[in-house]
Amino acid sequence: MDVLASLATALSSPAATFLAADPPWENPDLFFSQVVAGMATGSIYGLIALGIVLIYRSTDVINFAQGEMALFVTFVGWSMIQADVNYWIVFFLVLALAGAIGALVERTVIRPVEGGPVLNPVIVTLGLFVVFNSLTAFIWAQGQLPKGYPATPLGSHLKAVDLGFARITEHQLMVLVIAVIVMLALYLLFNHTKLGLAMRATAQNPQAARLMGINVGQMLMLGWALSAMVGAVGGILVAPILFLDLVTMLRVILFAFAAAVLGGLDSPPGAMVGGIIIGIVQNVASTYSFGPVFFGPELSLPVALLVLVAILLVRPTGLFGRRAVRRV
Amino acid sequence: MGFWWAIAIAVAAAATVRFAPVIPRRWRVLASLAVLLLVVCWMPFTVGTFKTSQMTTVATWGIVAIGLNLLTGYNGQISLGHGAFVTIGAYAVAILTDSKEHLGFVDASAWPFWAAIVAGGFIAAAFGFAVGVPALRLSGPYLAVASLGLVIALPPVLAKYDGLTGGRLGIREPQPPPPGFLADLLNRDQWFFFLALTTLVLMALLAWLIVRSRWGRAFIAVRDSEVAAMAAGIPVAQYKVMAYTISAFYGGIAGGIFMSTIGLITPESIGIILSINYFTAIVIGGLGSIMGSIIGGFVLVFLPDLSTDLATGIFGDRQGKQLWPTIYGAVLIGVIILMPHGIAGAVHRLSRLRPAHVAEAIHGLPKALRQTAERFSWAWDIRPGRGKGTGEP
Repeated sequence: MDVLASLATALSSPAATFLAADPPWENPDLFFSQVVAGMATGSIYGLIALGIVLIYRSTDVINFAQGEMALFVTFVGWSMIQADVNYWIVFFLVLALAGAIGALVERTVIRPVEGGPVLNPVIVTLGLFVVFNSLTAFIWAQGQLPKGYPATPLGSHLKAVDLGFARITEHQLMVLVIAVIVMLALYLLFNHTKLGLAMRATAQNPQAARLMGINVGQMLMLGWALSAMVGAVGGILVAPILFLDLVTMLRVILFAFAAAVLGGLDSPPGAMVGGIIIGIVQNVASTYSFGPVFFGPELSLPVALLVLVAILLVRPTGLFGRRAVRRV
Repeated sequence: MGFWWAIAIAVAAAATVRFAPVIPRRWRVLASLAVLLLVVCWMPFTVGTFKTSQMTTVATWGIVAIGLNLLTGYNGQISLGHGAFVTIGAYAVAILTDSKEHLGFVDASAWPFWAAIVAGGFIAAAFGFAVGVPALRLSGPYLAVASLGLVIALPPVLAKYDGLTGGRLGIREPQPPPPGFLADLLNRDQWFFFLALTTLVLMALLAWLIVRSRWGRAFIAVRDSEVAAMAAGIPVAQYKVMAYTISAFYGGIAGGIFMSTIGLITPESIGIILSINYFTAIVIGGLGSIMGSIIGGFVLVFLPDLSTDLATGIFGDRQGKQLWPTIYGAVLIGVIILMPHGIAGAVHRLSRLRPAHVAEAIHGLPKALRQTAERFSWAWDIRPGRGKGTGEP
């Protein structure tokens, strides 16, 4: 697979630019700009991580295909935008398609392996990763240049906006706004609707939920659909920044996994917080390089992973994850 | 002779011996393994150079898979980063067998080949110990993601400290020639194949001894329930670290073999995808089974070829070459749905099959079909209040 070769470049590129910046106390504007921009990137990681967490919470499955599913539907969106369809119509059509794919995946390939040996769903999602990646490559990205995806009509990717203490692009501001809207919508869904209550009950205890008359199968399917939709939002928002090609999501998904684990795999707010922490650290560290200063910028990735593992050693289920109670 | 014919002969011969009534029951498994090994030893003389080198890779990844299976299948700890130990073993062998004139602090004399392979295993095991201790704190998906970090983090480190490792370009080593008494019999590829096969057999034997020993029983007890194992007086932490160390030792030995058969090791030789594929291999081959691990190695090497053939068959030559990963992924998903306990599990169930069971299945077929049809009746029953979940016919 040529994924292998491209992954190496994808992993090394973020740290490749090595700028000597003024220290924060001399140029606070730059520092805060980097922090806010990091929050924007981080909330995209957070959205993908949120998709992973939503699935893990309800079905105990780590969806390795989360990023590739989002990539696939974003490419569909790109095709529609090439055909001059209105941005927002495309946005919601892509979301609907993502939901349908998520539900279909749960129904057809995840359900047969549920209740079997615990590692089988992992293999299924790894298989899905390969399938979606190669389908995307076949349809859109066969040896072609990365494709540009437009930013939302509300904020250009090129114009900067001054917040007083920081300067970021309009698109980054929109990313933050949309992330907040998604979180708010999920909060309202889970905590203030009967459907959300049913989904939470299913996640907590499927047997008891079934006895209460909840259609557990439908809830799981809905959970996968919801997760794919959240992932698709992340894909649409990251596409203007990173451009669309086969490795776009590989750059994002590793940080998203790190974010999900850092926040705790069963905590949706944790995923967002984890994503934002990672986004800020990544941005600030690549600007000032004080993290890997002893090692040089090449080792920023290993150092970042070391920090993640160190945090996990102190809190084995992430920052906000619930401790598992073990019974015989 | 064609490669797949040879494989078919090997499997058929082994299966025949496995059930041959003339052989005493207690010797059948051993005899069938011996026959299988015999056919496999004959294969490199008939299937051609390319297939022989592919079989060398099968044997090498088989060693990794056995080690990983000891950790994941028998002890229940997930590792997606085992490629790191393979890389470490390969680098250890490359550095030790070199005379290293440019390194003042290392002994300038080159190690003999076999000593370097074993030393590579022990160096990887030391790293495994160092990883296994912190891994005690983590479990399940958290351990999976953290272990993936291992194989992501290692290449930049190897590339950075290039005094020892040769940086991004890696180390190119002269490959060991066959020993004198074999030099006339074997060509290069056959020699590498038998080198890898011998190591695989020895390592499989070692794994079999471990699994059947006190250690193996402790590994399994810890996997099934840590709390229960603790209550039974098993030092859980000690055995988990031990499993990690042994598993890394296997990775290191395989890395040494890989290095000596390929002749080149770079930081990217064992990438993330390959590392995850080791894990895929043991689940597809069969968790908690030594033979399953070797089958997993076989699948890992030959499934891409097979799915390319299948894809070109279905979609035509040009599209098939591009779409083969789709088939590959679909086959992975299909296998795991149809064989939840891997290929080894399916073979095990098949070997338990008796004529009476077959007759029973044929007898019950109409009922089973009817039940399946009823299960999916919701798909076509569109009348309100009917179909799934209503409890009515």
